[in-house]
Amino acid sequence: MGTRDTREIYGGSLGVGRFLRERGLRGTIAYLREHGVRGAVENAREDGRSLLGELRGISVAYLLLAPTLLVSAVFLYYPALEALELSFHQTLFFGGERTWVGLGNYETLLSSSAYHESVAITIAFAATVVVGVMTISLIVSFLLYEVDWGQSGYLIAAIWPYALPPAVAGIVFLFLIHPSIGTLTAVIEGATGLEVDWFSNGRQAFFVVAIAAIWKQLGYNVIFTVAALNNVPATLKEAAELDGIGRWSRLVRIYVPLISPTLLFLVVMNTIYAFFGTFAFIDLMTQGGPGGATNIMIFDLYRNAFEFNNHGLASAQSVVLFAVVSVLMYVQLRFSDERVHYGA
Amino acid sequence: MSRHSNTNANANASTSANASTGGESRRFPIDLERGLPALDGATLRAHAGLLLAVSLMALPLVIAALISFGTRATFTSVSELSLETAAQNYHDVLFRYDMGQYMLNSLLMSVIVVIGKLAVSLLAALAIVYYRFPFKNAVFGVVLLTLMLPVPVRIVPLFQLAADLGWANSFAALTIPYLASATTVFLLRQHFLSIPASLVESAKLDGVGPLRFLAFVLIPMSKGMIAGVSVIMFIYSWNQYLWPLLIVDDQSMQVAQVGIRLLQGVVESGDIAWPLMMAGSIVTLVPPLAVLIIFRKPLLETFGVE
Amino acid sequence: MALTAGAATAGCLDGVLGKEETDAELESEPDEDAITVWHAMGGDNGETMAQLGDQFHEETGIDVEMVYQGSYEDTLNQSFAAIEAGTMPEVVQIDSLHAKQILDTDAFQSVEGILPDDYPVADFLDPVTDFFTVDGELHSLPFNNSNAILYYNKDVFAEAGLDPESPPETLAEVTEYSREIVDSGAAEYGITWPNHVWFIEHWYSLAGQTLVDNENGWADDPTTVHTETAVGERLWSWWRDMAQDDLYTNPGMEAWGEATDLFYGQNVGMLLTSTASVAGAIAQSEEQGFELGTGFYPAIDGREGVVIGGASLWVPEDMSDQRAEEVGQFLEFMSQPENQITWHKETGYYPVRGEAVDQLEEDGWFEESPHHGTAFDQLLASEQTTATKRMLVGPARQVAVQLQEGSVEIFEERTDLEDGLATMKGGIEAEMERYVEARGS
Repeated sequence: MGTRDTREIYGGSLGVGRFLRERGLRGTIAYLREHGVRGAVENAREDGRSLLGELRGISVAYLLLAPTLLVSAVFLYYPALEALELSFHQTLFFGGERTWVGLGNYETLLSSSAYHESVAITIAFAATVVVGVMTISLIVSFLLYEVDWGQSGYLIAAIWPYALPPAVAGIVFLFLIHPSIGTLTAVIEGATGLEVDWFSNGRQAFFVVAIAAIWKQLGYNVIFTVAALNNVPATLKEAAELDGIGRWSRLVRIYVPLISPTLLFLVVMNTIYAFFGTFAFIDLMTQGGPGGATNIMIFDLYRNAFEFNNHGLASAQSVVLFAVVSVLMYVQLRFSDERVHYGA
Repeated sequence: MSRHSNTNANANASTSANASTGGESRRFPIDLERGLPALDGATLRAHAGLLLAVSLMALPLVIAALISFGTRATFTSVSELSLETAAQNYHDVLFRYDMGQYMLNSLLMSVIVVIGKLAVSLLAALAIVYYRFPFKNAVFGVVLLTLMLPVPVRIVPLFQLAADLGWANSFAALTIPYLASATTVFLLRQHFLSIPASLVESAKLDGVGPLRFLAFVLIPMSKGMIAGVSVIMFIYSWNQYLWPLLIVDDQSMQVAQVGIRLLQGVVESGDIAWPLMMAGSIVTLVPPLAVLIIFRKPLLETFGVE
Repeated sequence: MALTAGAATAGCLDGVLGKEETDAELESEPDEDAITVWHAMGGDNGETMAQLGDQFHEETGIDVEMVYQGSYEDTLNQSFAAIEAGTMPEVVQIDSLHAKQILDTDAFQSVEGILPDDYPVADFLDPVTDFFTVDGELHSLPFNNSNAILYYNKDVFAEAGLDPESPPETLAEVTEYSREIVDSGAAEYGITWPNHVWFIEHWYSLAGQTLVDNENGWADDPTTVHTETAVGERLWSWWRDMAQDDLYTNPGMEAWGEATDLFYGQNVGMLLTSTASVAGAIAQSEEQGFELGTGFYPAIDGREGVVIGGASLWVPEDMSDQRAEEVGQFLEFMSQPENQITWHKETGYYPVRGEAVDQLEEDGWFEESPHHGTAFDQLLASEQTTATKRMLVGPARQVAVQLQEGSVEIFEERTDLEDGLATMKGGIEAEMERYVEARGS
């Protein structure tokens, strides 16, 4: 940010803030009495820019920002506020008929054991996805970092799931371990002795969906983990190798602490993914079942909104989810400096 | 190349912002000075581990592809698979079950989103970096805070809004709500900040207007970054599922992701077979995968992998 | 369906330019004049729909575009969205379960108003008319109707030492037969059916018990569900025992395709599903090389009548008189005896018109294809009672989901019977109350 001033070659600041800061309210009033408004304006100018020039620059800046701001206001902020408003209403048929119920919808959520279960499942699901995807991608990335040849081939073979559409990942997994016709079903049953029965068995369904979701997210994680590992100075690696520390203890004791800011960033991003990015998996694979075992919050919200037409309740759920993202974003900004959500 | 902030935060380990040009940190690809790779046990194990991992990651797709060459969900020998069957399956899925149409819609949607988002974000980043104006930090904050409003947080009113605008079943609904992008603005801003100030100074001295400055200085200097974020945006847009599912009900306007859902419905009604479903999945994966592979270099650079 | 990329681009630009342009966009579509029909018929049945549409076009010159929208549930959700977005098609196929909620939207017109004046409304079969007439008015056109029947594998029966010509008629017999099938190793499981509320409705109506109060919702908005009854206890305890003894396998929530797959794959000896699967089952049993049997839906013990399932065609309000007339012509066409006969033969849904039935009987069709006859005999053998009129309930989707999910809880023994039945009742009552409250009348 230190170099910013030299880059600000257009626009202006009007200098009002600086003028006020320098003189204080009383000083400003005195100055205005003495020199009039015109004098004050001239004094506030920097670099001899003309007021008109500055004003023009400022308007151009806002003009350049206008598309982003307009779309943000209309399609992001307004609907979010509207969701808040809607959450205080009881609705039928797309909110066309609504009655004020105050905190009624929130009370419904608070007292609904199904919703509590959904929250618990979402947390468990996010934890499973985060731990699963990060463990695998850390190991893969570290091996990639360690080998001396073939990295570019391995790299592309490890990051391609970044391009994998969730709907495709979901449908392929649904088929592969379909209890009655899945290609891998018999293999898994033979290897583990388990009966693959995830259309009835909630626990199995939970893990099947989680594995599919992990699969899709591996690419993204490998990219960031490899990037972080690449920034570890080579001297450290050589020193560690000379000390004869084993590969896995090197990873755990040296590299993990060194790349922990990236890992924390990934924890946040993967949590957001598990909360919001996995809708397609649930919709295509389990519809939240069996027995609510995969009914994560976003799916429950969707169902309330568009299947049961209970928009008020769904909006209250939106607000709860907003609180969740806020906390996650806060954690991210607080602990990992200026990292921002890639891929949105 | 900007290192972005991932390394900034990693204060004790990361090298300076110019590290990418130096030799002190390890880089892909092969370090020639080290000569031929030594094939000791540990290296072999690393290769074995990697091969296993990438094979497992590819396995589901390989099976899906194989199934799409057959006529039934379960096959007992490879001899049941044939090119003719595959041709039939892919033809059916693209034309009889309209995946071709859905893919075309997805492509158009993604291209519009990429171009639109890029244009809108370039302008915004230009203003944020090269302009001085009141409430700049607040404006940048407003842009960044949109990260906290993913589609599910505003889904119901967003739907109503698009409906009120008469945008149901239109590319307007499929693209315009995606045009404001905190990520893209942020990445471009970071990149602009890494362009040497001296260049900027000379532009200022020459009295170059902002749009010419953008077109002739900034964009040429940001080609790699622009390609990288375009890939991110393309994949993101291609993979959208929930929003098209809601806002499109005229299936001739449908996108490929939801097309998969429709195909699944047909499968579940019990008549058509899973091989078609797998063929549909494969064709839906091809465009983003191709984009990723072709543009892997700028993409990885954007993410900070050299 | 073919919208060229150029037209699509034009549509996009129109959208970008703003609202006024949307009309222009519609005009640029090649099939602007087509009657758009949203339906939930996938696969072969969907193709039969498309054929009927083409035939109508040939006869009248009016274009029909058949659009598959996924399951009944998907089609329903799309319709609600379309009402809001103002993108309703001319005709929507809605599962009869959702009739009440669709009526309450006030967004549809009664088809009686648009059918040609000489339309023989009286020719619909009585059970059909009974069901689709609400408050004395035929709101939607009965189109594809069916019951659930029992399908069984005669080879499996023979292998298990059961008489292939006498399928089970009661739940106790189903248990007994299933045990023989599983113990003899003739099939992995005895029976399966999709976990859909419709099957529960069948058992209730056969037992002469309404599923919800207020005459199954026909007298007034229902306020409760009758799970905590002798019928409910018998049904769910049987279901639980079947699952726990591995005599029943759960194909999944609303998993019609999986259930039939299990039957065709000979993993189960018996299947309960819609008569709409008759045509497919005959073809598949030939392909898989087993002999198909069909029988009446097994009852808890005594049997009164079965509920009618399937869907009808609804027509939204807000269309020009001329359009309404064309739509009326289309509806008449779809329910013409000869088309109903085609539809019946190709799919297994039974014809809704008396004339069509007479014709089929005259042709000896039911003797020729006895499996097609089973459903029909079952329907004709049914007594019409309050319980056989399918429940009419606003939040039908919620009621269905709660019953389906609640059933899984019980038969997987995640809850005991008593709590499971009480949970379903409590949840459904809350939904019913909320619906009436939100509707505000």
